[in-house]
Amino acid sequence: MKKLINWLQLAAAYVKLNFRSHLEYRGAFISQVVAMAVNDSCWIVFWTLFFTRFPVLHGWTQKDVLTMWAISASGFGLAVTVAGNTFQLARVVGRGELDSWLLYPRAVLPHLALGRMVPSGLGDAIFGYVLFFAFVRPDWQHMLLFLVFSLSSALLFIGFFAIAGSLSFFIGNAEVLAEQWIFSLITFSTYPSPLFDGVVKILLFTIIPAGFVSYLPIDALQGLSLKYASLSVLGSAAFLAIGVSVFYLGLRRYESGNLIGMRG
Amino acid sequence: MNELRKYTWIAWTSARSSWAYFGDAIGRVIFFSIILYIFLRLWTTTFTQTGATHLGGLSITQMLWYLTITEAIMLSGPKVSTLIDEDVRTGTIAVQLLRPMSYAYYRLAMTLGERTIRFLVNLVTGCAIAFLLVGQLPMVGFGMLTLCATLPLAFILDFLGLFLVGLSAFWLEDTSGLLLLYSRGVLIAGGTLIPLDLYPSAVRPILSWLPFANITAGPAHVFVSPLPQDLAMILCRQITGTLVLGAIAFVIYKQALRRVFVNGG
Repeated sequence: MKKLINWLQLAAAYVKLNFRSHLEYRGAFISQVVAMAVNDSCWIVFWTLFFTRFPVLHGWTQKDVLTMWAISASGFGLAVTVAGNTFQLARVVGRGELDSWLLYPRAVLPHLALGRMVPSGLGDAIFGYVLFFAFVRPDWQHMLLFLVFSLSSALLFIGFFAIAGSLSFFIGNAEVLAEQWIFSLITFSTYPSPLFDGVVKILLFTIIPAGFVSYLPIDALQGLSLKYASLSVLGSAAFLAIGVSVFYLGLRRYESGNLIGMRG
Repeated sequence: MNELRKYTWIAWTSARSSWAYFGDAIGRVIFFSIILYIFLRLWTTTFTQTGATHLGGLSITQMLWYLTITEAIMLSGPKVSTLIDEDVRTGTIAVQLLRPMSYAYYRLAMTLGERTIRFLVNLVTGCAIAFLLVGQLPMVGFGMLTLCATLPLAFILDFLGLFLVGLSAFWLEDTSGLLLLYSRGVLIAGGTLIPLDLYPSAVRPILSWLPFANITAGPAHVFVSPLPQDLAMILCRQITGTLVLGAIAFVIYKQALRRVFVNGG
């Protein structure tokens, strides 16, 4: 327990530091946060237009799609706000920029992951929570489940980014491949699950685990099902564990880029 | 004539350079294919569920080919505004201005060259996916001709919008937010995801005259439904949009150049 609190304190210290660092460029920071929230809102406009013409899509209503967007956006937003470096891990590894992180006294991955904040992620997170609480208007049970899912989705995103980014350890510069893989997860996480079946559905619980980010949580929220909720949380925890394992497995193959740089 | 040859050569060089980065092209094709697959599924499901033969005046085959073209255009856009932003922030624009060519035309030529290759790659991929899923589009030959007639102005219109976003770096601390908003304008107001005919009738006339709709929806519409009167209307809107946006870009560009200071040494 003491160890967990210790790690949470480290995470809080990093978030505070990154936040202050971004506030030095206040205008740019605020504009990125607002722009991302507006960007997400555009998708809500699209779905509103869609559901105005076609009210039900294979049993999914507009409320379900809004909930799906709220979970995906808040989960992704939390992940890149707190652990933004995982989002660009493939670039860091591919360019041999990991050296400075290897000097830290604790485990490498937490320091590396927490070392950067993606400011637009805060816009995603704020958008996700506002969307759910203001438009879906949940009761306390749904509210509690939603909070759990936004956190479990964030953990899954971090684990998945670690897996995708670690490709660079094994195949050299995997920047483009990792980026496309990550965008595939984000994209599939924002469309209703009944659209997909057969092989694609299997892929959505394995190679592109969007099923754990938004589909199982929607099933759980629709029927207040603890079974689906547990599956979703377990799936996220599994992907986080796989991500951490793959990173440390790949780290053994890391070759320094001999870069000279400074980090504030 | 020499001027034209110069910019054509720049466009050609940009196209060849774009072709050289084949790995990047493959990466983009994967993402394009995923997006296309999802939208094909979405609209196939919608047609099946509603039992309609036509939605917004389009059959399911036309709808899926329409989305193929809008997505192929949308996802072929180079990051020209980011490059302009970098030129402004790093001061490279001062060096570019010394060259015996217009900076604006140079960027336009570079963009058109790169975009042509990207669009062709997307088009081939998209056509293969659409053909496999819904079969051939009727009158595809005429459709290709009308598409080719509307694409140059669509690309120029998009360039003008992105050029304005890039130039805003002279006044703004960060242009990435503005770029995001612009791209979402093309996505939603441009009819990229939903044909404009499915929008509420009150907003449809306004949207159809905005530049966004004439970048993606216009060319896609005349591709799937190649009627001479529609082609004339789209071209008319594109020319009007290019003139208006071009005039705005000209004024802003002149204002921006006044903010360039070169200190020798």
